[in-house]
Amino acid sequence: MATPSESDRTEQIITLFLHKAQHAVLASRIPHLHLSAPRPTSARDRWFHLALGDLPAQIGHHGAVMDPLVVDILLTPRGDADDPTGSPEAVVERWTAQCVPPSPWSAAAPHHPHDGSWHRKTYKKSIILLRSLYALLRLLPAHRIFRLLCSSSQPYNYDLSYRISSFVAPLSRAEEAELKQYSFAPVETLFGQLVVSVQYRPSLANFNLEVSSMPPMIITDYVGSPAADPMRPFPSSLPERVSRPIMHQYPPTGIRTSAAPSFDRPHSWNSTPLAHHPLSSASGLPVSEIGFLLPENYGHLVPNQRPLGERKGSSGYNELKLSPPLSTSASPSPPTRGGDSPQSRFHLETAPVSIPTGKSQHRSPNLSDPFKSLLPPPSPRSTRADPYCQESPSRSISFRKSEGSILGDVYSNFHIYAAHKGLKDGRDDSGRFSALSSGGSPRYGFSRSSSRLSIQDDLDDGDFSYPFAVDDVDTSDSQARSFDGKEASEDTLSHKSPEFGSSHKSREAEVGILVHMLKTAAPLRQGQGSLLSSESNAEVSMSSSVMSRKTCDVLEELQSYKELKNLLLSKSKSGSLDSVKQRKE
Amino acid sequence: MNCETCQLKELLVVPTEIQDVLRCILHTIIFHRALGLVRPKDVECEHFELTYVRCGDHEIEKKIDEKIDQFIGWVEKHPNRKGQVCLSFYEVKNKHATWFGNKIERLYWEQWYINLHVLNPKSHGKSHYTKAPISTGENASEESSSRHAALESSLCEVLFQIIRFADEKKDHIPTVQNSEIISFPFEISTPSSSDSSFGWHADVLKRMLQTGHPSMLS
Repeated sequence: MATPSESDRTEQIITLFLHKAQHAVLASRIPHLHLSAPRPTSARDRWFHLALGDLPAQIGHHGAVMDPLVVDILLTPRGDADDPTGSPEAVVERWTAQCVPPSPWSAAAPHHPHDGSWHRKTYKKSIILLRSLYALLRLLPAHRIFRLLCSSSQPYNYDLSYRISSFVAPLSRAEEAELKQYSFAPVETLFGQLVVSVQYRPSLANFNLEVSSMPPMIITDYVGSPAADPMRPFPSSLPERVSRPIMHQYPPTGIRTSAAPSFDRPHSWNSTPLAHHPLSSASGLPVSEIGFLLPENYGHLVPNQRPLGERKGSSGYNELKLSPPLSTSASPSPPTRGGDSPQSRFHLETAPVSIPTGKSQHRSPNLSDPFKSLLPPPSPRSTRADPYCQESPSRSISFRKSEGSILGDVYSNFHIYAAHKGLKDGRDDSGRFSALSSGGSPRYGFSRSSSRLSIQDDLDDGDFSYPFAVDDVDTSDSQARSFDGKEASEDTLSHKSPEFGSSHKSREAEVGILVHMLKTAAPLRQGQGSLLSSESNAEVSMSSSVMSRKTCDVLEELQSYKELKNLLLSKSKSGSLDSVKQRKE
Repeated sequence: MNCETCQLKELLVVPTEIQDVLRCILHTIIFHRALGLVRPKDVECEHFELTYVRCGDHEIEKKIDEKIDQFIGWVEKHPNRKGQVCLSFYEVKNKHATWFGNKIERLYWEQWYINLHVLNPKSHGKSHYTKAPISTGENASEESSSRHAALESSLCEVLFQIIRFADEKKDHIPTVQNSEIISFPFEISTPSSSDSSFGWHADVLKRMLQTGHPSMLS
């Protein structure tokens, strides 16, 4: 009969053997446990002369000595656990370790020596059994998957998980058919035979293990990104960036949803959270019951999971980085949260519009600002100053004088102003508008009176050009109309038209068509002409300025090109003159 | 003490695979028989999709590599030959002193025979099995890959064989006398490099002289 000490020893050997066996299996199959398992050489670790480190305390065989230890290794598909169409988890291995007591009806009980050497033999054989178990763990097919998951930095569509139980749950017939069994040689103990066996799938080819299609991590500080240089203006390659695909942020969907900003766009990562995910706040499942993901994924998650409340200012900037390439930090206004409407985001994300301060800036095409290429040309009134107003008084007087002959005709005033615009273009070479051309500031903005007066002034000069063509639709309407004083205006124009010169025939022709259209157009108000004839010149100028504004928009652009051309020519000439002067000095 | 002998399945290898195959087999056997405190180290084969376990002891690794180099040297001198590497575990017993000094007797209690058939691709004109003509181009690469796959499968079977044998045969293992990693001394025998047949036979005779009369099971 065994002594109490020997019974205790045997019980201790069996208990620790089960714990060690479980440790060996989990450390060789679960990547998370394999990576995080420390390797100290504690007293308990030296048992069975196989130092494996220590497992987390909550993972262990908590059953009785004689209770079986069943460790199921599961191949769990990664993805939405709530998806009914997803493939279920599969048992790839089932390790069973148990001390089987001798049957009461056995023929003869094993003879146990009473010298205390029994437990030493048990212990020695347990050591060898564990060595065999450890070696076999490396030969089974599941070990390749384990190595793949441990070594790869990318997530796969499957994860290895485990399930520990103290009873042998029956497997389905299909599973039983697919599993092969290997049983180790039993070790005789005082309480019975220590039996270890494994049921395993000889082939895992049915599981199409591949890199998961989860979105990769967003690289926020790529070379040339606004993140690298927040003050850098938005580059001119904006259209290219707009077409670039959106980079999604790691990690799995469930984690992201809990902390990610709520964008308006439906991104693939904004799906329902993984309810069973261990990091999910809603998950209350014990560690042993749920699958484990690669621990390195969590390391990438944590720094990005900042609550939205902390993202004011810089957070909005970070959210911009997650948005499509349109997002930029070059906006002068402070960034807002990512949940803003696309319009506001667009406004936030547009590059600062350069306000032209000089003629050259205005005249030259703005190649650096791609928005200008996409947007219609800016209104002259919005971007141009009013030096025209300042310079026009002298001409305005002359204009007023000549206008007196065509009072009551709103459209005649209008076309007179249009003629004035063309006159400006034609006048650059003559020097009459030299002050304007070299002023450096645009002359598109003008007051009501000044515009009209300028037209009048130009008309007096007799030099006029029509830079823009007239729409065909308006031409037909304008021809049917008749105005008071129209003949006078026409006479004025016809008097002046021959003076345009042959050098501006095409533009002049276009302007002429436009003016003719305006001349023949019906007045806006029938009684306006009579009223204007009786009212002061200021009222007439107001109405004419309204019409003139419409044409000046049309004519100014052509004038701008002409002035630009003249400017370039003048600069080239002046530059050559200056160089000659410098040489003489 | 009974000497348990295990003849492992013959493996068809090329010279470049000898080192990987022998390391895998020898370390696996020693891992099962070095019963001292070990911190196991997983090692992946260079040429095969297999992982085996080492004891993590530098002396063991050094000794194994030396013997493997010896065997490779013998293979280079005797190409296209079958060779055998023997791993033996023994006990040392001091015999009584004689006129010539103390004689140390080795009692082998376990021997593992690793059988390798080394194929030399250069001089491999005709297959020993099929006597087929030399295959060139794609056929040669296909044969090589199929042979390699078959070798990997056979190597896996050999490892299974080692695990089963080492696990089943435990009663003959002597009592552990020390706490070192190498609980029992062992030796690795390779064919002699001087002469194939004569050298091999000389090694066998030497071993027989060193081995005492096999005693009954204790």
